[in-house]
Amino acid sequence: MPALNKTAAIIVTFNRSPKLLKVLDALNAQTRRPDIVLVVDNASTDDTQTLMEARAREDESLRYLRLPKNVGGAGGFHAGLKAAYGMGAHYFWISDDDAYPEPAAIEKLLHAIITFEEDHAWRPSFACSRVEWIDGSLCEMNTPRPVWDWPRFVTAAQNWPLVDSASFVSVLIPRWAVSEHGLPIPDYFIWFDDAEYTRRIARSYPGIFVPESVVMHDTPDNRGVNFGMIDDKSLWKFKYGARNETSFRRREGGLVNVLAYAYGVRRQMKGANIPKAHRRQIYGAILKGLSFRPRIERV
Amino acid sequence: MTSLTPSAFGTESAYIDHEISEAMAIYARLYPTQSLRFLFYQGKDPIHGKPEITEGAFTFRAQHLSPEYLGQVMRPGTHPDAPQITISLAIPRRPNPAEAQQTDAPWVPMRPLRRLFSVWPLGYEKIRYQAEMLRKKRRKPGRLNLRGQGWDHLPVPSRPASDKKPAILIGMHWLEVGGAEKLGFDTIRWAIEAGLRVFVAASVPALQRLQDKLPDSPDVTFLRLDRYLPHDKWPRFVARLIEDENIGLVHIHHCIPLYESLPQIRATMPWIKVIDSTHIVEYADGGYPRTSGVWSEFIDMHHVISRELVDYYRDNFQVIGKLRLGRMLDRAEPARELLAMNMMPGQDHLRVTFVGRLYYQKRPVVVVEALRALDKWAMANGVTLRGRIIGEGPFLNTVRTLLKRHGLTSKVELLPAGSTVPQIMADSDILLLPSNNEGLALVCYEAIEQGCIPISTDVGSQSEIVPADLLVPLEPAACVKGIVTAVDRLWKDRDFCDRQKAELQAAWTRIAADPTAQEILMPIYRDAADTTQE
Repeated sequence: MPALNKTAAIIVTFNRSPKLLKVLDALNAQTRRPDIVLVVDNASTDDTQTLMEARAREDESLRYLRLPKNVGGAGGFHAGLKAAYGMGAHYFWISDDDAYPEPAAIEKLLHAIITFEEDHAWRPSFACSRVEWIDGSLCEMNTPRPVWDWPRFVTAAQNWPLVDSASFVSVLIPRWAVSEHGLPIPDYFIWFDDAEYTRRIARSYPGIFVPESVVMHDTPDNRGVNFGMIDDKSLWKFKYGARNETSFRRREGGLVNVLAYAYGVRRQMKGANIPKAHRRQIYGAILKGLSFRPRIERV
Repeated sequence: MTSLTPSAFGTESAYIDHEISEAMAIYARLYPTQSLRFLFYQGKDPIHGKPEITEGAFTFRAQHLSPEYLGQVMRPGTHPDAPQITISLAIPRRPNPAEAQQTDAPWVPMRPLRRLFSVWPLGYEKIRYQAEMLRKKRRKPGRLNLRGQGWDHLPVPSRPASDKKPAILIGMHWLEVGGAEKLGFDTIRWAIEAGLRVFVAASVPALQRLQDKLPDSPDVTFLRLDRYLPHDKWPRFVARLIEDENIGLVHIHHCIPLYESLPQIRATMPWIKVIDSTHIVEYADGGYPRTSGVWSEFIDMHHVISRELVDYYRDNFQVIGKLRLGRMLDRAEPARELLAMNMMPGQDHLRVTFVGRLYYQKRPVVVVEALRALDKWAMANGVTLRGRIIGEGPFLNTVRTLLKRHGLTSKVELLPAGSTVPQIMADSDILLLPSNNEGLALVCYEAIEQGCIPISTDVGSQSEIVPADLLVPLEPAACVKGIVTAVDRLWKDRDFCDRQKAELQAAWTRIAADPTAQEILMPIYRDAADTTQE
């Protein structure tokens, strides 16, 4: 272990106090308990505040950041990472309020990121866990994206493939990555904030996928993110996703990249026979994304 | 204790001798081995010693032998080659009687707005209010000072043994009225009770008129760092003091250089326990609670006196676990009984009181405007108004002038600060508190005890004690209007009046049930007295 490894866990929550308490219990049971546990509350209207204050009175390491309004997951992770950075942590473990880490999850992430750096000299920009759904299967929406040479350092003893994109469910980010690349984009509000951020920090060096670190993601169902799954209830989220990814692709790859993306979205929607009214809204979001250029805040 | 007020020294030479020895003692502690040369001058003001420190060889220039030059004193170093330090100090002159009485010049409106104030005082207040709101809007949140925990393979300084009686260092804003001084003096008393020696230092240079109120005990030492030590030298001085005097606990009450000494303390004496107390979120940036929050990583426990502060630390610095709420109230045994409320709906008279220092924070101009509006209301309803303003300060002349201009001198009495407040409250229906800023005003608590109904601006933690219907907006004109509306409703609507009385008494009881500052702090003081003796 390096000399300095103060770790802060950042959990963003909104109106899910029973699940949040389970997450905090899981953090208390960690073999390597984070030095700071920062709960970022997106202005919950349930009993989250009361419960957190009561718990924080007994536990000095628990910090509670209540945001004045719901700024979405993106705003919450932005505020949380900014606050935890300001608290001097050397590693940030970022996760959702419905993801329960197994007792050794954080220790294994820390071990992997430090060992990788010691063995190979390269500094992984993040380390992410294997996220399982409640039945033990792989959680579709939290699948990391490997880079083309993902097996470069994979051996029987160290099975840590290189990845360049991961979700904000049990991902460990070192302080240097935040110093160098800034904070997640709060204006995304929801969806694609994690992919944008991990891809941004992975420019320095890719992250690693650490399968022996496991968390259980307690979502209502186990579905991936595909524009063929749009329905009335989820349309608003897909709109944010389309706008945000378009904005990202325009920034990183230019118009051709956006066109390729729009073509892929169209194919997914057409293939799943999504109603035309919904499709129009998604195209509208893609158009919005062309001129949407949110600022990246540095620390 | 080292000194009383300057006037306590009979002759000027006795006074100067005393000040010289006090200043030399400070530097002797700061520079124990160095060769010290003190240059003393006669001060032009009664407050500050204007210290200047030159490290290394010193060359006299013409200005060093100015007409105010008193002379020099040498303190040899511990060895012939000891580094030389030259300290130049002005001995503050003794204050004249007027200065000893009052520090602040009478308030006058700012020059470009004087005309406006003379024709429309509330308009002036409005502009001031808007400027303040703008400043608040522009404020930036405080950024935490980080504190690395270090690597446990490297050695950490350990506590040396000491045969001295354990001590505490209490840092205060100043020893004057209006610097959260009540709690400061209470803590000094409690620390002595707990068995600690007490070192007191103030950060803001002042006459420190309240130093006579320090307990007359050999265990209390007031260090005149405010006069003779520049702020940048506090950290090293404090570290030496802690080491020399077996100090195990540092308690900060609104004392900036002591906050700034925390890195020195934490790095060189990590065993020291540090606590602080804050009272009120103030100024555009939050004031002392902001400073305290910024230094939170270096502080073991924050003591606060209101729920507003609990929320402030949580929302701005995510601090909950090391925060303790301890009210600035005494735990009366047996519990105090509340008197029945004085005001009755439909009564033919209205007794309105204001209690507070006549500074802008209390908005004395708004008080007078509210009394004027209440007088109009009283005349329209056949009610006799009797107003009382208790307090002194720079706004006294302004208040007097405005009362005269509004023809209120026969109806509103001006009473000195020393008046018996509980008695006056017991003879009042309404307490006005249109402050710009408050924590939780104790005067509201006293008013309820005496059956007087407080009407306050909705600032700070006032909503903890004043019911929502008796809270008025901060904007000056809306504040005056709100006060008249509240009084009118209390006078006309019996149910409303009864409900407010019940809510006031319930709030009083709720607050009285919270832990007091003494209950929170005494165990820590006792612990410090025990631990440091081990």
